[in-house]
Amino acid sequence: MLLENKYYKIINTKVDGLSAVYRIVLLPDCDVYRGHFPGNPVCPGVCNIETIKECAILLAGRKLQISTIKQCRLTAVASPALCPEVDVTVSLLSTDRGFTVTAKIADAERTYMEYKGDMIV
Amino acid sequence: MKYEEIKDLILQRDPIIMVDKLIEVDGDVAVTGLTVRADNYFIDEDGLLAEPGLIEHIAQSASAFAGYRAIRAGAATPPVGYIGEVKKFHCYCRPQPGDELRTTITMGAELAGVTIITGETRVLDDIVADTQMKIFIKPDD
Repeated sequence: MLLENKYYKIINTKVDGLSAVYRIVLLPDCDVYRGHFPGNPVCPGVCNIETIKECAILLAGRKLQISTIKQCRLTAVASPALCPEVDVTVSLLSTDRGFTVTAKIADAERTYMEYKGDMIV
Repeated sequence: MKYEEIKDLILQRDPIIMVDKLIEVDGDVAVTGLTVRADNYFIDEDGLLAEPGLIEHIAQSASAFAGYRAIRAGAATPPVGYIGEVKKFHCYCRPQPGDELRTTITMGAELAGVTIITGETRVLDDIVADTQMKIFIKPDD
């Protein structure tokens, strides 16, 4: 995995069939914040997309690739300071070539990302 | 025509710079480039660029275009841009180190700080990815 234990760390997992909730810690020392942005560490939206993909891979138990993103809304700015721990909620629906993935990144106060798209095996 | 250095057009810095140069600007359309290197931040375990790297490349290409316009309009630094939404993204194939990405950005109208852009990335004649995106551009304050 590209970002597991570098950008985020999973501290709790709840799996129920083809749905799961992963509680993750956003790691403040990740090198990505050196460049995004200098003196203003903000989670790159695409790193949160990669985090959703990696959680979907864990849930599916096999390697997946993003083929399409129907819609991904970034609804609030996230950072390790603003939201040190968040829940990544993932649901899979089987398709011919893989899964339709619906996901959300949120904490008790806010939703940071809402995601829907297809991943292929 | 000669364009500014990429670090004058975007605020991202190493290790997450995902665009090398602004190649062409014509009205609402710009072309950018990125050479994928083996040490790119988004090179996955299989040696190919992860799909979110393509999204970031398209987003930073749009940022470079917005930065170019802002600087030509007299701003001292490029504006901060955040992705607000990714829609209708397709990844057709994943680039490998050595590939030269060429991306065409079409900038739509701006409304209340939100700009809708479309981006299409190719390697030579092959389409790699395309997407629509909403970008929030925050003027320098």
